[in-house]
Amino acid sequence: MKKIIPIFTALMLGLSMILLGQQQSPNIKLEISPSPLEVDVEGQAKIKVKAFDENGKEITGGVLNFLNLRDEGAVPTSGIQVDPDGTVTGRVPGPYRIVVMWAHLDKNLFKTEFLKANVKFAEVSSVEIKDFPENVYSGSVIPLNLELKDAKGFPMPESNLGISTSNKEVAEVDQLLNLYAKSPGRSSLSIKTSDGKEELLKMTVNVLKNPVTTIDISVEKSIIRTGDVLPFKAIGKDRKGKIVKDVPLSYAVSGEEKEKGAGASAMIEQDGRFVAEKPGTYTVIISCGDKSAVRTIKVVERNVSREIKVMGQGKVQNKHTSDFWVWEGVDGKDYAVTGTWGADGKAYFWHVTDPSNITLIDSFQVDARTVNDVKVSADGKICVISREGASSRKNGIVILDVTNPYDVKQHSTFTETLTGGVHNVFIYEDHVYALSNSQRYDIINIEDPKNPKRIGKFEIDNPARSIHDVWVEDGIAYSSNWNDGVIMVDVGNGIAGGSPSNPVEIARGRVEGDANHAAFPFRSESAEKFYVIAGDEIFPTYFFTKPNADMDVFAPKGYLHFMDFSDLRNPKEVARYEVPEAGSHNFWVQDDLLYIGYYNGGVRVVDVSGDLMGDLYKQGREVAHFVPTDPEGYVPNHAMTWGAQPHKGYVFFSDFNSGLWAVKVEPQVKEGFKN
Amino acid sequence: MKKTLLFFLFSLITIWGNTQTYYVYVAAESEDEVALISFDGKDAHLEQRIPVGYIPKEIEGPHGIAVDMDGKHWYLSMAHGNPYGYLYKYSTSTNELVGKTTLGLFPATMQQSKITGMIYIVNFNLHGDMVPSTVSVVDPKEMIELKRIETGVMPHGSRISPNGRWHYSLAMMSGELFEIDALRMDLNRTLNLDLKAGFITEEELAKIKEEESKHEGHEGHENMYHSTVKPTWVIPHPSLRKAYVAGNGCDEIFEIDLEKWDISRRFETGKGPYNVEVSPNGKYMVSTYKSEGYTGIWNLETGKELVRIPNTRKVCHGITITPDSKYAFVSVEGIGGEPGTVDIISLERLEKVDFVEIGKQAGGIAFWKMEDK
Repeated sequence: MKKIIPIFTALMLGLSMILLGQQQSPNIKLEISPSPLEVDVEGQAKIKVKAFDENGKEITGGVLNFLNLRDEGAVPTSGIQVDPDGTVTGRVPGPYRIVVMWAHLDKNLFKTEFLKANVKFAEVSSVEIKDFPENVYSGSVIPLNLELKDAKGFPMPESNLGISTSNKEVAEVDQLLNLYAKSPGRSSLSIKTSDGKEELLKMTVNVLKNPVTTIDISVEKSIIRTGDVLPFKAIGKDRKGKIVKDVPLSYAVSGEEKEKGAGASAMIEQDGRFVAEKPGTYTVIISCGDKSAVRTIKVVERNVSREIKVMGQGKVQNKHTSDFWVWEGVDGKDYAVTGTWGADGKAYFWHVTDPSNITLIDSFQVDARTVNDVKVSADGKICVISREGASSRKNGIVILDVTNPYDVKQHSTFTETLTGGVHNVFIYEDHVYALSNSQRYDIINIEDPKNPKRIGKFEIDNPARSIHDVWVEDGIAYSSNWNDGVIMVDVGNGIAGGSPSNPVEIARGRVEGDANHAAFPFRSESAEKFYVIAGDEIFPTYFFTKPNADMDVFAPKGYLHFMDFSDLRNPKEVARYEVPEAGSHNFWVQDDLLYIGYYNGGVRVVDVSGDLMGDLYKQGREVAHFVPTDPEGYVPNHAMTWGAQPHKGYVFFSDFNSGLWAVKVEPQVKEGFKN
Repeated sequence: MKKTLLFFLFSLITIWGNTQTYYVYVAAESEDEVALISFDGKDAHLEQRIPVGYIPKEIEGPHGIAVDMDGKHWYLSMAHGNPYGYLYKYSTSTNELVGKTTLGLFPATMQQSKITGMIYIVNFNLHGDMVPSTVSVVDPKEMIELKRIETGVMPHGSRISPNGRWHYSLAMMSGELFEIDALRMDLNRTLNLDLKAGFITEEELAKIKEEESKHEGHEGHENMYHSTVKPTWVIPHPSLRKAYVAGNGCDEIFEIDLEKWDISRRFETGKGPYNVEVSPNGKYMVSTYKSEGYTGIWNLETGKELVRIPNTRKVCHGITITPDSKYAFVSVEGIGGEPGTVDIISLERLEKVDFVEIGKQAGGIAFWKMEDK
């Protein structure tokens, strides 16, 4: 009995800990004033807080603590200052939240409340019209780009302003802030505060007679294919036939579909480049004020489709397959290595000289759960595999001797500063570029592969940086950095004096959507353009909100962004390839053909010849695609293609659920320009 | 013979006499899964595998897990994001995601304070630069990170005193124990364990700091040295003003007198003690010896190790003990493609009574509830 009592007591104690462990001080009420709180910039207000118990009796002796948050989230902001005594000082206009924390240290009581606060803008004090043209010609339409500032100099959002012109026969402004230059003459433009009491800006608009009487259009072709970019050149001339240089020309297009109900889709940039997604007859209208000229062109099917033939499969059906690499071995035969994902840390080696007979010839296992990336040196002697999920939590890379792919041996492992897991690697001229903890890439000299040495690193100055991949070509490293986009770094090219031990950034381009996952540079074989293709990896944010979610419902999204890096200082995103029902992953370009592992969309081959503009998928540039399904795959009949690599006339690709594949894109039977 | 028979009878009573079913959540770090397991006193069952995370082709690494005080929600720290990790909030009734917020780098262990209701999570920053990291304070109702309180290099272990007032965490690399005032949300005290344990002298520490401050690019590294103690876990005693710290690097557990703020006892353990828990009745101390794959059970009063039990697989990790102090649930990571495991150890019989396999790299583990059968 004596033993039972303590056991019972302990049991009850344990149970009471569960039952009594309820939310803190639930019955305390805080009375906060003022609420909501408003304060001017550099103005002050004082927060007053009283605490009351469940009987409405005030609790005295509590202490207060205040935290200032941006309205949308957690990070403290300097836009509003809250002193320990509750004095609030406005710094930057905008909405904020203040956390009011009350605690009674002796009674172990605690309560928090959120107080909405707003630092007010002062009255609007100045308006500027940006980029207003020097000469305004009759018949032209000029968007008014307004820049507002308040009395403290803070930029303001657009607000209700009174905008009017004195002579509506000459110029008029619509509700969307477009100024219509209607006829030659003078008119004043006035911008007033919404109550009309104060005039913020007054200027004279001098509408000139349009000197252009004719517009000459020159264009090289009258029949093109979908996806072909056709530049229109136009010149405005006066009545004497002289060229007028400073007149603005505007480009527009209208179209008639070839197939009824299909709609006609084409676009023309304001530099005169035209492209169409669908066949049809299109009329380009080039205007200058009240003068215009038209030119009609015909767009026909691109007709680049080719058959794709499955050659073989190196089956991996008991685990997921990750990245792969195909190379010509030192014996002149062809080999491939594939990684594995979320499994047992194995990499597989294949003989692929005959793609119809892909043969597993060796494997190599390391302490990891994922060998996400595998790369082989250009001389075919060294393979580097990445490690994630090592039991020691020291991941790093493993350097292998693949001189004889039938008997792969380990040169060394390297974990220094790479413990956090290496997601991707690249080998370039005796150096390994290895991602470290998704924050930077380290550069490791492997001239002596048994004694690798870290000699450099590259990371950007952004606390929230996150890097996903790196690819090196011609001495330039192209890294993919999610929100920060594609970053080009000289690691030996010489353009900026960089080297592996002294990497120097030379350019960067942010990518629409902020989901940059992979990058591949290519210099067009058929146009004087240098592109970097930046690929997304996007999954719905609600992917795993529910257990047992249906994989098909939450399919990946994302596409490839074509960044024109011809001018390194001014990269532009000019085109995309987007398969509506699938999500992009890894890719490769060779001879103006793009090969993509498009996850659930399988392997895709795309014609990227010529100038690129618009949506390449809709332009019919897809040459071929193949969706691999394997009824005995790790996830049966569920394509999830990882990446693709052309090699000696074949396209190899790895699939997450079924291993390594080889296909051949058959020669084109149909020629373009068929109508 | 008589003793054997009595033991047999006692065992039968223990097994059949158990009227509770226990439920535990366990995170599988290399599977991006959380497992809900049950144990009825005899058999353990995998009730549900819950996929977590939002990028199915990246391992995001669920690491720390905690159930709130009313048992209605469980919280999961995800180690890897772009670049910051997350805190996810799930409903225990549906195991569906109901909220999330961004934290620091590699958020890990967490616990909710009884008096503030806030969740305190260490930002482990396991693989980042050797600079001090933080403890995040999250309002679980709003799912907003309110504050980051700077502590030491690679903070780990995050447990709160039974009264909810004091939060304890460690810095693995700088060998420090931190006490945060949960009410004030500020650092209250710091204890250098290497100094207190005699592994380093004040002079040596000062010299290291001086050397670090001279190195270009080592700004903020002044308190960084490779701690001999390498503390990985701290757990306050359920009723006494004491805490127990796992010295992963020195194969010891330290008892800290929280009144004197000093080491009061030292326990020599197996290799690599990683987690340490004290049973709610204050009788047992349970520790995983990560490097050798054993779990040790100690009598706290006598300071003797009662038994050292081999885990089902290598790399044992976390511990949770049932409120009735009968069972310890131990997560075991495994290696490579091995499944993760949860070993169930009877604290009365001092033996492993069952195990259940879950996803790879079982780590964070949290007790949810016990129900009458």
